[in-house]
Amino acid sequence: MSAETRTMGKRRPYRRAMDGWWTRNPFFVRYMIREWTAVLVAAYALVLLVGAVRLAQGEAAYSAWFESMKSPFALAFHWVTLAVFLYHTWSWFEIMPRTMPAIFVGGKRLARGVITAAGIAAALACCAIVLALALGGGR
Amino acid sequence: METYKADVAIVGAGGAGLRAAIAIAEADPALTVALISKVYPMRSHTVAAEGGAAGVVQAHDSLEHHFNDTVHGGDGLCDQDVVEYFVAHCTEELTQLEHWGCPWSRKPDGRIDVRAFGGMKIERTWFAADTSGFHMLHTLFQTSIKYPSIRRFDEYFAADLVVEDGRCQGVVVIEVATGQFTLIQAKAVILATGGAGRVFRESTLGGIVTGDGMALAYRHGAPLRDMEFMQYHPTCMLGTGLLFTEACRGEGGFLRNRDGYRYLQDYGLGPAEDKPRNKFMELGPRDRLSQAFWHEEKKGRTVTTAHGEAVHLDLRHLGENKLRERLPLICELAEEYLKIDPARAPIPVRPAIHYTMGGIYADLRAATPLPGLYAAGECASNGIHGANRLGSNSLVDIIVFGKMAGVEAAKYARGVSQSPHGVLEKQARGAQERALSPLRSARGKERHSVLRREMAQSMEAGCGIYRTAADMQATCDKIAELRERYGRVDVNDKSSVWNSDWLGALELGYLLEVAQAVVHSAINRKESRGAHQRLDGYEQRDDANFLRHTMAYHGGGGPPRIGYSDVVITRSKPGTRAYGAAGEQAQAQERKAAHG
Amino acid sequence: MAEGDRSPGASIEVEVLRYRPEQDSEPFYQSFTVPYAEDLSVLQALQHIKDDLDSTLSFRWSCRMAICGSCGLMINGIPKLGCRTFLREYYPGRVRVGPLNHFPIERDLVVDIEDFVGKLEKIHPYIIPREPRTLDQGEYLQTPRQLQRYLQFSNCINCTLCYAACPQYGLDPAFLGPGITALLHRYNADSRDGGQAKRAAIMHAEDGVWGCTAVSYCSEVCPKAVDPANAINQNKMASAMDYFLRFVKPGGARK
Repeated sequence: MSAETRTMGKRRPYRRAMDGWWTRNPFFVRYMIREWTAVLVAAYALVLLVGAVRLAQGEAAYSAWFESMKSPFALAFHWVTLAVFLYHTWSWFEIMPRTMPAIFVGGKRLARGVITAAGIAAALACCAIVLALALGGGR
Repeated sequence: METYKADVAIVGAGGAGLRAAIAIAEADPALTVALISKVYPMRSHTVAAEGGAAGVVQAHDSLEHHFNDTVHGGDGLCDQDVVEYFVAHCTEELTQLEHWGCPWSRKPDGRIDVRAFGGMKIERTWFAADTSGFHMLHTLFQTSIKYPSIRRFDEYFAADLVVEDGRCQGVVVIEVATGQFTLIQAKAVILATGGAGRVFRESTLGGIVTGDGMALAYRHGAPLRDMEFMQYHPTCMLGTGLLFTEACRGEGGFLRNRDGYRYLQDYGLGPAEDKPRNKFMELGPRDRLSQAFWHEEKKGRTVTTAHGEAVHLDLRHLGENKLRERLPLICELAEEYLKIDPARAPIPVRPAIHYTMGGIYADLRAATPLPGLYAAGECASNGIHGANRLGSNSLVDIIVFGKMAGVEAAKYARGVSQSPHGVLEKQARGAQERALSPLRSARGKERHSVLRREMAQSMEAGCGIYRTAADMQATCDKIAELRERYGRVDVNDKSSVWNSDWLGALELGYLLEVAQAVVHSAINRKESRGAHQRLDGYEQRDDANFLRHTMAYHGGGGPPRIGYSDVVITRSKPGTRAYGAAGEQAQAQERKAAHG
Repeated sequence: MAEGDRSPGASIEVEVLRYRPEQDSEPFYQSFTVPYAEDLSVLQALQHIKDDLDSTLSFRWSCRMAICGSCGLMINGIPKLGCRTFLREYYPGRVRVGPLNHFPIERDLVVDIEDFVGKLEKIHPYIIPREPRTLDQGEYLQTPRQLQRYLQFSNCINCTLCYAACPQYGLDPAFLGPGITALLHRYNADSRDGGQAKRAAIMHAEDGVWGCTAVSYCSEVCPKAVDPANAINQNKMASAMDYFLRFVKPGGARK
């Protein structure tokens, strides 16, 4: 264990090292996963951005990009990304109650779980609307 | 030895010490204050006070009522001039705390809410849910940070007072983190070190409540007054002694015996009614309730638990919502420690030591007989609690008289100069030698943890809720034996950094001397009054001989010398002390006699 | 109550981190066997060790009822109050007790919390009156609703468990940290207080709320439901607004 001590008279306060701190507690492991999922979220945003650029370049470019999205690798990437997105979304709404002032309804404080559930419900509703528009537009 | 020079040194940074420090800083910012505490201020035991603090606010209440309740609760032994001052300043001090940010519970219109408390005729207890002491302490501590003239010595242990030229001129302290001694020179010293309940075994008190200041003042000739009056709080957790606040009963809780019977009606506190009624039943004073428990136990009507006999504190009828809002800490204690949901099951409780009514004799100005030495809070006996303190009077005691001590010490400090440094330092060196002596292993093989346990057991046996001369004599003998063995204590730990073994031994030295004052004061009081109840032919109050304060003077290595002093009576002759319907009757008769 | 749940003679192994700066070059675990009962706390186990097995063990404690905040410890790796953690949660397994993480170890289970206290002293932790009032005018009016806005944050017992839970504090001790930010917010959110501007620089600094990455373990371990993560994160919004508004407000950018 690398650590340091500072001598102050007879005192010699011992400072513990932080190496590998996030492996010491499952809570920290989950936190690190949440943080890393953000990387994939960003990566997917990049993929969509490329798609948008291709669209601007014309139909042929866009079709090529679209076809490339159907490769087994791209499909696998999508499935993984979907799973990561779901976890990220959940973890995001899970900490949401900690980021906002207390909400009082009828003199009683709204429970954390209610806020999280409401957030997730709103996200699902948005997904449903987008999906409906996409499917409806495709017809 | 390192020296720090201050105008006023305060030992103890709980409610009283912090209030005193702020009072000095506000009176004169040029005066330097050394605020010394063996723990960080927010750990001080004020933190554990739950129920609240008394101050007259309601239109149908009056200072007269608060005065009468206090004197009546103290069983005649209160100094009435001091009580008059006290009740007149409670509300102002509580308002001051409100201005400083204390989160007192409120009524819907935003005004201060008050609750009922034992022995109080009208609701006047200000509260911050059931963590009133915690909020008062943190408010005072955080407010004290505003004043640059207050220099804190956190985790410095007081080893001795420096008395020179017949006056107190400083404190010798040990830095806990290093074991280093420092002389804190001061023109005036305030002791605010709290009670000495740890001389007993089962108590509501923190480990730090070891009577340090009492013992130091006592060693230097200041008398300890009325030490026989140790308060048993009637509703404490078995085994640990942790407190279930009187506010449980103030909010309407019941006490029941094994048959579910509200037994207090058998002890002159009835009749039993469904609604709480002030000064009736569960809202009687603590001494009476603890004594009633003792009788129930003798009658075999208590509940048997793994940690001994208990009665039930029944809060179920208050309902979940009220419990969570008004008594959250009680819910937490019951659930976490006992796995009991107070909304669904009664809590087993029994009396445990809670408060030291006596202490260093201090007058209305918080001055002790030793010039330059002041005392405030639980370590002092200023005369307001008499033979039995009423719940919610101590949290105001610490701020009313904490402020008084600060103001008076500041005045005194401005008028005196210090003896030469060399003389004071020589004294401090002597104190250092004495404090280091338990570390010299040549002395013997006694262990202080063993002595402490024997002391606490003996005190409980001899100075419990009911007392007899034989039991008290046995305790007198035991304490004398323990003091003799204390001279042979060997401290295992010889190190300097955070040596809590050594400081524990020093604390035991304080405890033993205070314990001796308690038991000798008790055996000499041949009557029953308030928290001092005897079973050996002295069952009655004896005003002719004992309407007097006990004064215990340090007797060196031997027992204390016991003397007496008069009680100051201004306007209320000690009458019959009765509660419940009997109390109302007695009051009516007294009124008639006064008018007839 | 834990009636009848003590099997006589039962015991439990308690491992305690020892570090005596005058003789040990670094900390090590020492094992003790302590009598077990279902209602004994970890603190009581430590007291047993000190009174009967090894009086040289040092730790802080006082009230025993989870209000003085002295006995914060790492118990099997989790920051907890020793007095409110019971041996029954670990029995028949062993209990491993250490000093709170992220603070320098002074000795054994005692850590140096001067950094915490110093930060408390820095945040103006007192009412700076919005409208000064004399004692004759009585109390400030404060409705239960207004009280609710800060009450939970005023319940902080300064036990520093949240600092032992916060990896950001461990990595960068300059970070103001959870408990102190909660106390800062406690005063800002008090209807009697008008000192928000005075505390703004500390709150909005990089070492202030922006040092937090929303791990929010602080709020998980808090024994008093203070929810310091909430105090920090709702102020990130306030801090961001403050930053952008200074460009909009006349003369604001100069501050």
